[in-house]
Amino acid sequence: MGKQVDILQGTLDMLILKAVSLGPLHGYGILLRIQQISKDALQIPQGSLYPAMYRLEHRGWIAAEWGESENKRKAKYYRLTAVGRRQLKSERQEWKRLAAAIGDVLSAEPEGV
Amino acid sequence: MLAQLRSWWRALTGQSRLAGEMTSEMDGHMERYAADLVAGGMAPEEARRRARIEFGSTAGAAEECREAVGLRWPNEIARDLSYAVRVLRKSPTFTAAAVATLALCIGANTAIFSVVDAVLLRPLPYPQPDRLFSVARHFRGKGSESYQTNLWGSAWEAVRDNATYLDSAVFSDGSMGVNFVAGGGVEYVKQQRVSAGFFRVLGIAPQIGREFSVEEDRKGGAPVTVLSYALWKRVFRGDPSIVGQAVALRGEPHTIVGVLPASFQSIVPADLWTPLRPSRSGEGEGSNYAIVSRLRSGATWARANGQMEAIGAPLMRQYAQDPSTRLQLISFQRGLTVDLRQPLLILWAAVGLVLLIGCVNIAGLLLARAAGRTREMATRMALGSGRGALIRQMLAESVVLGLCGGAAGALLGWLGVKALKVMTPASLNVWQAVELDWRVLGATACVSIAAGILFGLYPALAASRLEIRAALGEAGRAVAGGRNPWPRRLLVASEVALGVVLLVGAGLLIRTFAHLSGLNPGFDAHNVITAELSLQDARYSTTQSVDRLYEQSLARMRELPGVESAAVALSLPYERALNTGFQRLDGRHVDTESQITNMFYITPEFFRVLRIPLLRGRAFTAADSSTSAPAAIVSEAFVKMYMQGDDPIGRHLDFGGGEKRAIVGVVGDIQQKSGWGDGSPTAAMPDIYIPATQVEDKFISLVHTWFSPSWIVRSSGPSKGTISGMQRALESVDPQLPFAGFHSMEDVRYRALAQERFQAVLLGAMAGLALLLAAVGIYGLIANSVAERTRELGIRLALGATVPQAIRTVALPGVALALAGVMAGSVLAAFATQLLRRLVWGVRPGDPVTFVAVGIGLLGVAAAASFLPALRVVRLNPAETLRQE
Repeated sequence: MGKQVDILQGTLDMLILKAVSLGPLHGYGILLRIQQISKDALQIPQGSLYPAMYRLEHRGWIAAEWGESENKRKAKYYRLTAVGRRQLKSERQEWKRLAAAIGDVLSAEPEGV
Repeated sequence: MLAQLRSWWRALTGQSRLAGEMTSEMDGHMERYAADLVAGGMAPEEARRRARIEFGSTAGAAEECREAVGLRWPNEIARDLSYAVRVLRKSPTFTAAAVATLALCIGANTAIFSVVDAVLLRPLPYPQPDRLFSVARHFRGKGSESYQTNLWGSAWEAVRDNATYLDSAVFSDGSMGVNFVAGGGVEYVKQQRVSAGFFRVLGIAPQIGREFSVEEDRKGGAPVTVLSYALWKRVFRGDPSIVGQAVALRGEPHTIVGVLPASFQSIVPADLWTPLRPSRSGEGEGSNYAIVSRLRSGATWARANGQMEAIGAPLMRQYAQDPSTRLQLISFQRGLTVDLRQPLLILWAAVGLVLLIGCVNIAGLLLARAAGRTREMATRMALGSGRGALIRQMLAESVVLGLCGGAAGALLGWLGVKALKVMTPASLNVWQAVELDWRVLGATACVSIAAGILFGLYPALAASRLEIRAALGEAGRAVAGGRNPWPRRLLVASEVALGVVLLVGAGLLIRTFAHLSGLNPGFDAHNVITAELSLQDARYSTTQSVDRLYEQSLARMRELPGVESAAVALSLPYERALNTGFQRLDGRHVDTESQITNMFYITPEFFRVLRIPLLRGRAFTAADSSTSAPAAIVSEAFVKMYMQGDDPIGRHLDFGGGEKRAIVGVVGDIQQKSGWGDGSPTAAMPDIYIPATQVEDKFISLVHTWFSPSWIVRSSGPSKGTISGMQRALESVDPQLPFAGFHSMEDVRYRALAQERFQAVLLGAMAGLALLLAAVGIYGLIANSVAERTRELGIRLALGATVPQAIRTVALPGVALALAGVMAGSVLAAFATQLLRRLVWGVRPGDPVTFVAVGIGLLGVAAAASFLPALRVVRLNPAETLRQE
């Protein structure tokens, strides 16, 4: 396990949207998916995952359905809605712009200022 | 946005389901994590512990989830409400006083609103009721306007032929009792006469059969009838083959052509309907018809009304009406309620006013209470509670009070509706039942919440505006003059002012009722029984047959034990009498145009039975027969109106037949429903009496379609046998004639003033309630000020003030406020009573006696309410009071 970073405020929503965009997942599955994609680099407090998911569901970006999980237990599965897909797209662009801008700032040469 | 609302609603309505789901979702999460840890080689016990620790607080997460779906403020409101209930339970006296006040006020509103709703607001129970209209004459007087929906035959023909935007029908707006013979039994049933197309216009299709055709609705058309569902079920046990069968109605065979559906609600109580056969002659000469019209599809009210005004212009000129009178289309519901609308709206306003006074009163109580809670509020603010939260909390308390009061009020309202049903004039309970239904309850709930906010808002705002340090430093003790007393004083004064308005209004109506019931009836109602009977009967279409019936039945009734005298008259005192035109032929006044008078035919003993004094000339005797000279007896009021300065005896009158009728006597006046003239509920009207033997055949059959003649019997004392004896006497003459019900003359008199009594009693009750509330308000204000000023009063007494001086100091503000309230209220009342102008008789709306009596009475009550709590000063021990500090 490499060094873990705390995720930025507000980015958790985007990560959850991204995680469920690849296919329906239950809450624990979303956690695993994010850890897996980020190669365990991102540290997500498990308890904070749920309020974020409820908020996204309340906004209509993800939809939930009760289904049966791999070990025959009932589980609530989340999937991306059409609205959520648009939201994810715009958030991704926003994020890229922000990251590029911050990257530019950080990579500026001292004499250039 | 919509999705969000839906999700919020789902969450709100399914809070326990939501909680269950969240728990099971989070538990599942931890189990899976633990299972993964176990798979990684950890001991199961340790794995579960780790999973729980890493997840963190599930309760905290769940709370955040709830917040995420917008459940924060509903939860806070629930918390506020439950706190409010706790607080209110801790001060039961205050809560009981407030809830009782509200219960009375809201109860009164609920009861009156149920009547207003049934009569004025709820749409008529017919399809598309908003397209149904009445054709009405619109009168515009000085500052007032009124409608009349009764019209004459040629007006109907003009509307029928020219109002192309309307589908119209005509009807007789009352129902009459008639005799109905079917299956060997005879029954007295209620009949309404309506034209062809009446049910089509209302939008009602008969359940079986059809309604009247145009041919049947003409003079000489086939005799037919349509039955109500209830009559069909009761008499024919719902036999569907009844259509086409004959029944004897009014002594004539009538063919049943249809039965109305069970759901049909008639505009007047009726068991069956017969064709009206409208015409220009006979009853069509007078205003005896009412028109109902349905807008044809595509037509608008504006166009139809414009057309109606054009149709009406020549008609109104022709009838020499007031030139401003116009023919207009008003909603059918409005047309059916022209006489009820204003009294009901006034009552409604009165109960609204009482509720307002109640709210003002509770606001005063809350202000006083808030003074005692300053420390609680300050402490909560010091602990970080926002002002908004405090206001919300206090509003929650007043809304809880409002809802409790509303619930108790609904209960009282339910009782009130029952009471109203007993005492309402029959006209209030017509096409829909007056009842406490969901509409009324919904209105009550809204009123309760609104009242809670109304009386709670100002005290909440005032209480939350405080200086924390000062309030806490005060150590819970109010300093004399430390709090601004004016808001509460203003509330009390306005309460008194509103009370004045109600009391003056009630006073005027009570004086009206006293005036009307104090009018000399003109007859002796003691031990007199009457019964009416429909003679709308083919077997009694001639004067001769009617007179034989009268003579024989009266002779048998006179033989009954205890019976002194017996007579028949076309109508009774206190009832509406027949109006008829006449011309004076000789003496000082000779007419070229018709004059109007009330007219009765009577049998000879009429004046003896009712003990109406004969003032001059002679009464009728058996000698006044169909062959003797036509005779008439007139009333004193008739002489006053038409024979001023002339000797009435021997003068001749003409009733349109060209026959000279000589006046042979003058009798005292009796009270009657006026119907014309000034429109007073009862008055001594000009009357003409003629012998029943001298009435024309044509006249007999015409007036018997409107009036059921009354048998009147005087006994020497109260005797139970009279009623059954009268019934038997009639049966022995004609077994097919049933009496419609027996009444004592006292009953008839009582019923005549039903509406005035109803108004006086209800408004009186409201005003009494207002007076009580105002007294309670003043009492509370003074009692509170005594409590607040205990220390100051102690010092004053210690410094040598006498007890009476101290009492005056405390009590006088109460009297002064009441005085201010009375003055302001009198000005308000002077305007408000103008609304009562048409309900007030024998007294002017600005009646000084009423105003002064109300002012003095209120001041007296206010003085009592001020000095009573001030007397506590007597028990004050200065030394002790000062030591308490």
